[in-house]
Amino acid sequence: MLFPTLTFGLFFLVVYTLVWSTGRHNEWRKILLLVASWIFYGAWDWRFVTLLIGSAFLNWGLARLIDRFDPEEDAPHRKSLMIIGVIANLSILGFFKYFDFFIGELAPIVTAWGFARDLPLLQIVLPIGISFFTFQGMSYMIDVWRGRVKAASLLDITLLMSFFPHLVAGPIVRASHLIPQFRETPKVNRGMMAMALLLIVWGLFKKAVIASELATRLVDPVFFDPSAYGSLDLLFAAYGYAVQIYCDFSAYSDMAIGLAALLGYRFPRNFEQPYRAASLQEFWRRWHMSLSSWLRDYLYIGLGGNRGGLMFLCRNLMITMLLGGIWHGAKWTFLIWGGLHGVVLAAERIWRDVKPEGWPMLPRWIGIFITFHIVVLGWIFFRSESFDGAISYIAGIASWGGTATMITPLGLALVVLGLEMHFMPPQIMPALALRLRRIPAPAMGLLVGMAILLIDSMRYEGVAPFIYYQF
Amino acid sequence: MSHGHEFESPVDLHGRPVPAGHPLRWASVTIAVASLFLLVTNAVSISAWIEEQTPGPIQAKVAAVAGSWLASTEALGTATPRAALHKQWKAAQAVRFESEAKAPDQR
Repeated sequence: MLFPTLTFGLFFLVVYTLVWSTGRHNEWRKILLLVASWIFYGAWDWRFVTLLIGSAFLNWGLARLIDRFDPEEDAPHRKSLMIIGVIANLSILGFFKYFDFFIGELAPIVTAWGFARDLPLLQIVLPIGISFFTFQGMSYMIDVWRGRVKAASLLDITLLMSFFPHLVAGPIVRASHLIPQFRETPKVNRGMMAMALLLIVWGLFKKAVIASELATRLVDPVFFDPSAYGSLDLLFAAYGYAVQIYCDFSAYSDMAIGLAALLGYRFPRNFEQPYRAASLQEFWRRWHMSLSSWLRDYLYIGLGGNRGGLMFLCRNLMITMLLGGIWHGAKWTFLIWGGLHGVVLAAERIWRDVKPEGWPMLPRWIGIFITFHIVVLGWIFFRSESFDGAISYIAGIASWGGTATMITPLGLALVVLGLEMHFMPPQIMPALALRLRRIPAPAMGLLVGMAILLIDSMRYEGVAPFIYYQF
Repeated sequence: MSHGHEFESPVDLHGRPVPAGHPLRWASVTIAVASLFLLVTNAVSISAWIEEQTPGPIQAKVAAVAGSWLASTEALGTATPRAALHKQWKAAQAVRFESEAKAPDQR
């Protein structure tokens, strides 16, 4: 069930009506949301609803056990339970996401050692959103261990992990953020509702028009066979993919935030004009903010953060980014993407420390230009099917030859628009929502209807799944 | 890797509250009006969506109703704006740069 479809629209209308009809009965409201979330997830594959429930039970149970022990006197017991929980969560994630990859990589090594056996590839189906809900459950349990949140009820934890707006592609909403909201009957205001509608319509436009159009008419064909295209096409398609992945993923986040808000819940922002970043460090403060802050709080700081000197910090950055890369999937290209970001982040940090005093700073626009192109280089690895494919893609750009056949006025306009939206004042959306909330509801309804009609008339036939569904 | 307002929600606006009207009623009426507007102006998408569903007796009946609703909106003219916009969009998709349009055989 994809957000920009009529199936989901009807589903949401029913959920919205039922949920708000519960009035002040908060427990019933949560039960309804939980059942709706399971229906939403089950529409893709019913079998994995049990995995979702099992994962919630695991984290709820372990957090309860951790909470029973005294933080001072029973610290070792608490730590052991937390470690068991982390291992259990990572085992589930590892089995579904990485088992076949490791077996596939192990087979040639085993054969080379003289054990010519067929290793058991299980052809495991990857449950949608497993990385997101596993990280969410794990962070809750770790937060209980750290004493940052109190152990919550089974209903709240199951709903935290299953809540359909963020279930399959984030944002990764922490327990400390959402559980307190679950404990009270939601309160809304007109500004919140106006912003929610605006985010949904804006997300719909970014996904159904920009991302879909660029994917089907530019990016997919070029990345499928890079050798058939000249360097201008390859370069343009790389820019196109940078815009596509931003418009695709940020659209999902915008719609998720908007849908949750219509139901009365506040999700944190997940993107903040990432391509206006003047360094890679800044990029990660603006891109997939819920994942980067998760990696910072639960991995980077866990590894020691910046407490052990420059080289120690660089090591931690590399490990964090490599694991961040492999979090996206079991492919060498993701690892290289993470490695590239790790190397550049470390280089930026070293340069900051060793730069001689008095040296001038680069103008911000040059920093933006360089950062954007490093990010695009990373996207080539991220999007390519294989390492060889990525290398031949980059070699194709460097050869600087061939004619441009894929650049159309519409494609160019969409790429420019996708980049230009990073340089608009960030206050535009809130300012517009503040104005819209004063409009009478029938007029607002007509405006929303007209905007959706316009988007629907431009959308590509059929809706491709969101890129981040696979993660 | 840190950010001051990373947990702020974009739906929390900093403005004076609007005194008139209950926010939930306002949102519900907005959604209802938008849905009705799309029902009247976008019957082609509704009909296409029903056609995509698993075939069966219920689907066939609903498809027939959607088909006649589509014909009614076309007769009333409420389907025209969507059709016109779609035509414009298709025309925009077909536009090529001059150099490319003139020499398609060189590609």
